[in-house]
Amino acid sequence: MQNGQHFIEIENVSKSFRLPGGGVVNAVKDVTNYISRGEVLVIIGPSGSGKSTLLRTINGLESYDEGQIVIDGVDLGHAHTDMNLLRAQVGMVFQHFNLFLHKTALMNVVMPQTVVLKRSRSEAERTARELLERVGIADRADNYPSQLSGGQQQRVAIARALAMNPKVMLFDEATSALDPETVGGVLELMAELASEGMTMVVVTHEMGFARRVAHRMIFMDAGEIVEEGAPEHFFTNPRNERTQRFLREIL
Amino acid sequence: MLAMYQNVFPFLLQGLWQTFVISMLAIFFGSLVGAFVGLGRARGNRWTVRGFGAYVHMLRGTPFLVQIYIVYFVLPTTNLAVFQLTSFQAAVIALSLYTSTYVAEIVSAAIEAVPRGQNEAAQAHGFNGFQTLWYVVLPQSFKMMMPPMGGVYVLVIKNTAVLSVIGVTELVREANVSIQRFPSFILSVFLLVALMYFCYCYPVLRLTRWAEKKWGGLHLNV
Ligand SMILES: Nc1ncnc2c1ncn2[C@@H]1O[C@H](COP(=O)(O)OP(=O)(O)OP(=O)(O)O)[C@@H](O)[C@H]1O
Ligand SMILES: [Mg+2]
Repeated sequence: MQNGQHFIEIENVSKSFRLPGGGVVNAVKDVTNYISRGEVLVIIGPSGSGKSTLLRTINGLESYDEGQIVIDGVDLGHAHTDMNLLRAQVGMVFQHFNLFLHKTALMNVVMPQTVVLKRSRSEAERTARELLERVGIADRADNYPSQLSGGQQQRVAIARALAMNPKVMLFDEATSALDPETVGGVLELMAELASEGMTMVVVTHEMGFARRVAHRMIFMDAGEIVEEGAPEHFFTNPRNERTQRFLREIL
Repeated sequence: MLAMYQNVFPFLLQGLWQTFVISMLAIFFGSLVGAFVGLGRARGNRWTVRGFGAYVHMLRGTPFLVQIYIVYFVLPTTNLAVFQLTSFQAAVIALSLYTSTYVAEIVSAAIEAVPRGQNEAAQAHGFNGFQTLWYVVLPQSFKMMMPPMGGVYVLVIKNTAVLSVIGVTELVREANVSIQRFPSFILSVFLLVALMYFCYCYPVLRLTRWAEKKWGGLHLNV
């Protein structure tokens, strides 16, 4: 019934990890969710609840054991799906930025365009300079990651992901590793992207951001979606007892 | 003194040349094979990881002297045509294999030392396995490889001395022959030999330092 209706379809997805000792962790358990074009979905939940794992299955960095994920009509589980092409179209911003350490800020944004999208060097550079301008660090284009603050590195990382013209942007605790004074700027940039209509899935502990920017929120615990709703719902009368406890602790 | 130079020096130079040729060939082929084996261990499938792992451990767990004996004296007893080697060929092969195990360890360690996040970032932007290796991982591991590589190359050069046991006329062999002819020169001959090794090894070390510096613009936090 839902098929074909939604931009991103996550249906009955489960993922478990086998531990070296022989144990098994059910990181994501039977998760179903549908994300529309232009929607900003914020995922919250305690540590180890499976937020990152779910996010990473959406761009194929992590495979899933059961269920189905379809992005804009492309089934990630299909044997003929070009996963590299798909990853190029799904932007990912990491907690620890993961900028290419051997490249300047500019070249971090240029390289994926020339290597993956086969853009010409000059076109890629033009795009890169525009994007660095847009994220507010055009003046640091020739600096290496080690010469930039965390906040600046994360801006470059966002520019790098945007350069691929992604259909959706995934953020995995993009501000958790930043100094408090640089968190605001990066969140502002993310809010701007959201207001421009970018489809976004955001894992974050920044409840102010969630309240202001999210269209919808989900609370995960022990690999499951425990509660789902609009931000007002979460911050005024969360139903589930586990959600209540989590929000009490974090707010 | 002059007599010594006239009678001994040309032979020592010839030995040094032989040492140079054999070690350079071994460094070249050993690095090629070692890079391949190291890649296979760091990035290959289950079978290359195990197979190349066994290769490295077997060669590193036996003395070089035994390896050279096996290549030169034992393999020919199989009567297979390919194993009927001259001492020069046997020397290059044995020393290349020896070199490759050290290079393999350095290459795989350097690849694995590149943070996982670097691989993931490349993957997340749509790089395939080869592109990730070529554009992201190898440029970063290259700098890490340089200093230990210099150490291995010097080790290889010094190990050519062992090759005299199968009759390769490298530097030490020439020195021994000279001393048999002119026993009173023993001190000056071996001082000269030591100096020659040093004059060869030291620039090799400097060269790898230089290569490390040249790629020092990488600004890696490692
Ligand atoms: N590669 C892995 N191998 C084994 N177990 C893993 C792996 N990745 C995640 N897990 C486990 O899966 C569970 C969910 O982890 P996940 O990283 O998705 O949680 P999270 O909600 O993102 O937590 P955090 O807020 O700490 O980032 C945890 O128990 C974790 O230990
Ligand atoms: Mg996480």
